[in-house]
Amino acid sequence: MSDYQYAVELNNLTKRYGDFTAVKEVSLQVPRGAIYGFLGPNGAGKTTTLRMILDIVKPTSGSLTVLGAPSAMDVRERIGYLPEEKGLYKKMKTWAVIAYFARLKGVGGKEAKQRAYELLERYGLKDFSDKKVETLSKGMGQKVQVLASIAHQPEFVILDEPFSGLDPSNQQVMEDVISDLNKAGSTIVFSTHVMSHAERICDRLLLIAKAEKIFDGTIPEAKAIIPKMVNLSGVDDPNKLRALPGVTSAESTDGLPGSYDVCMADDADPQQLLRDCFRDDIELTSFNYREPTLHDVFLHLVGEDAKVASFR
Amino acid sequence: MNNTLHIAGREFSDNARTKGFWINLLMFPVILFASVKVPQLLEEKAKPTRHFVLVDQSGELESVVDGGLDRHYQRDVARKLVEYLQIHAMPEESEAEEKPNMADLLEQLPANAMDFNPTGDMSQSVIDMLDQLDPGIIAMLGEPGMLDGILAMMKPKLKPDAPDFEAPRHMLERAEMPEGAWGEIDPMTASKEEIVAHMKPFLLNQEKFSDHEDPLFALVVIPLDALQRLQGKDKPPIDPLIAPQLGVQFWSTNLTDKDLAQVVERALNHEVQGRELLARGLDGNEVQAAQSTKMLFATFDPKKAVGEEVVSVADTVRKWAPVGFVYLMWVAIFTVVNMLLNNTVEEKSNRIIEVLLSSATPWEIMSGKLIGIACVGLTMMVAWIFSLLGVLKFMAGPSVEWAGVLFEVIQTSGLLPLFALYFFCGYMTYSGLFLAIGSLCSTVKEAQNFMGTATIILMVPLFTMVFVTMDPHGTLATFLTWVPLYTPFVMMNRAAADPPMFDLIGTGILMLVTVILMLWLSSRIFRIGVLRTGQPPKILELIRSITTPLKNQ
Repeated sequence: MSDYQYAVELNNLTKRYGDFTAVKEVSLQVPRGAIYGFLGPNGAGKTTTLRMILDIVKPTSGSLTVLGAPSAMDVRERIGYLPEEKGLYKKMKTWAVIAYFARLKGVGGKEAKQRAYELLERYGLKDFSDKKVETLSKGMGQKVQVLASIAHQPEFVILDEPFSGLDPSNQQVMEDVISDLNKAGSTIVFSTHVMSHAERICDRLLLIAKAEKIFDGTIPEAKAIIPKMVNLSGVDDPNKLRALPGVTSAESTDGLPGSYDVCMADDADPQQLLRDCFRDDIELTSFNYREPTLHDVFLHLVGEDAKVASFR
Repeated sequence: MNNTLHIAGREFSDNARTKGFWINLLMFPVILFASVKVPQLLEEKAKPTRHFVLVDQSGELESVVDGGLDRHYQRDVARKLVEYLQIHAMPEESEAEEKPNMADLLEQLPANAMDFNPTGDMSQSVIDMLDQLDPGIIAMLGEPGMLDGILAMMKPKLKPDAPDFEAPRHMLERAEMPEGAWGEIDPMTASKEEIVAHMKPFLLNQEKFSDHEDPLFALVVIPLDALQRLQGKDKPPIDPLIAPQLGVQFWSTNLTDKDLAQVVERALNHEVQGRELLARGLDGNEVQAAQSTKMLFATFDPKKAVGEEVVSVADTVRKWAPVGFVYLMWVAIFTVVNMLLNNTVEEKSNRIIEVLLSSATPWEIMSGKLIGIACVGLTMMVAWIFSLLGVLKFMAGPSVEWAGVLFEVIQTSGLLPLFALYFFCGYMTYSGLFLAIGSLCSTVKEAQNFMGTATIILMVPLFTMVFVTMDPHGTLATFLTWVPLYTPFVMMNRAAADPPMFDLIGTGILMLVTVILMLWLSSRIFRIGVLRTGQPPKILELIRSITTPLKNQ
């Protein structure tokens, strides 16, 4: 195992298809051992970036290293990949598909078969080991494909939309798989357009929209970007609110009478705001302070355009 | 390299495990066997005896028709006897120098057959003689005691476990109308219309005409004045529009089985020709003898060694055998490249290709697929050729003489190695083409559209197969030889005709270049195509994407 600090390093990576720019000058460092989320709306350039990392697609300009090597092809046996659209050989037996992909990654024949059976058992698909893939349900097929992409115990795993198409309980299984892998020492990069998954399991994340990187860093760093927000209702006079210290703005919440979103300065304390409201005799029926979500962060960074994009 | 083999192995087992593949493998010998044996069996067992009713108002021709039927039957007997003797006669011990004149021997046969002990290698002579189906010999066979005589004579020459000879059944039989079946009409004087009207229900199988299980096959009506209405060079012409109403009428619902009609027609014509000879004061036997006079005529091939120039059956078979090989090659190549196409489209449409691309280089994937599918094709070819040889060897016998000859030809002619070479080149060329098509299509349906056009272009070697064989160095053959897509097929087709050295070596180089170019091109297209989504690209787009470097794609 070679020594490298970053599992992936991208330097001004750009991919153009004719006049269309799919990825524009993205630079990024994925630390070894991290769980790194690629977030962005559909068509933002996530898949293209992942494909460039895998050397399936050649970048138009810029450079990258993967596990210290200039191309993923040089270290492909140490990388696992789950593509965005899922599919398997329908006519093959479940264990054989997993073993086949493991063998392509350099695992010996016997070893591959054994690992396939182990993985199927561990993730509750034991009964389907000797069945043909076409007999599996969609969710099971997807699980099998995930197992196929990690059966060679890769030190770096790329998962493109691993949660799409899974029901909540299988999404949980998927999260378990990711954290199991991470505990075993693998670096993981996954893409998603569902913020909540990223928020739960990522160490770091990359936000990408319209081919450009708009943020990368840890989740607290991301959340620190947007101001603290308090929602007040039953407010009789918003001007009194706006005069309070630490309040930067107070906008009516979606036109609801008496309801206001209050943005606060970075160093302001929501508790103090509540005390100030009482002190100044501002009428309130509710006071609601919540941590910003990644969704809020994203909306803040991308602006109104992102709302149009398909988001959950 | 390892990955190439893994991919090849998977492609092979994936396709070799399909039911279609095994059906394909097994069907070939079965069909081959059946296509020879079934018509034979049908003829012998399943075809019902053809019963017919003859109404001979002329009163002179009934025995003539019977004689014709008899001769026809004796031919069947002779044919079956030859088959029987060929299967059951012991192998010849030595080549007889002098073959006895069998016709002379047979003349004396009925009298002294029982104490006749043939010497030397007469059994083969008997077989040869009968095999020619000479009318004289066949007529002799019908004489009482003759068949038994021959069988008795041959008995010592047969293998000890040979079963008794079973005479074939009569395929054509004249049936008498049962008592009272004519009802009120008298067939001897009634008009043709009346007779036909009366017989129609029987002919249409609406009424059983006798205890026979088989329905009435035909009705033959010979009118009273049939012998006065003969046709010939010096006979008055008859208006062709009304002619069918005047002469002998053959009524049958079966228009495809012409045996009976021909036998009856031949017998009647033979009779009237004989009468005509007599009427003109000519001796029928003399005329027959005169007509049987022949020049000695043989075909030679200057390419063959001195002493062996005579063109034999084997030469003819050898000349046409490549046609079979071309066909086999064509079927095999298109079966397997279709597998290749479908697999590629499948991998592309369900995105397995992306996982493959993250595990192996496009070149490894491509070569793995090519090798895997090639092995499927080879398995199929080997199985076919062995079953072909097996079936031929098994069938090689009296009734299918060509089978034995073909068996010999395939083994000795050196066509097999050429076949292997051309199969390889053809496979590589077409698999490159189909892999490229497959990688550009997102769905099987799209691929089918391409296939339609491709198939028409690729049918050419099949259409031209016969012409190329007949004129192996002609313009068509030479032209098609140099069209790279057709080279393997056409060269295979010409292989038996010793094509010029220039063509052999030239096309060898051409095929090599084609294969390399094809693989290079398809690897480029494959690389770009497999990750494409949506509609297949336009031709111009495709050319542009082949010529621009990957990073700008």
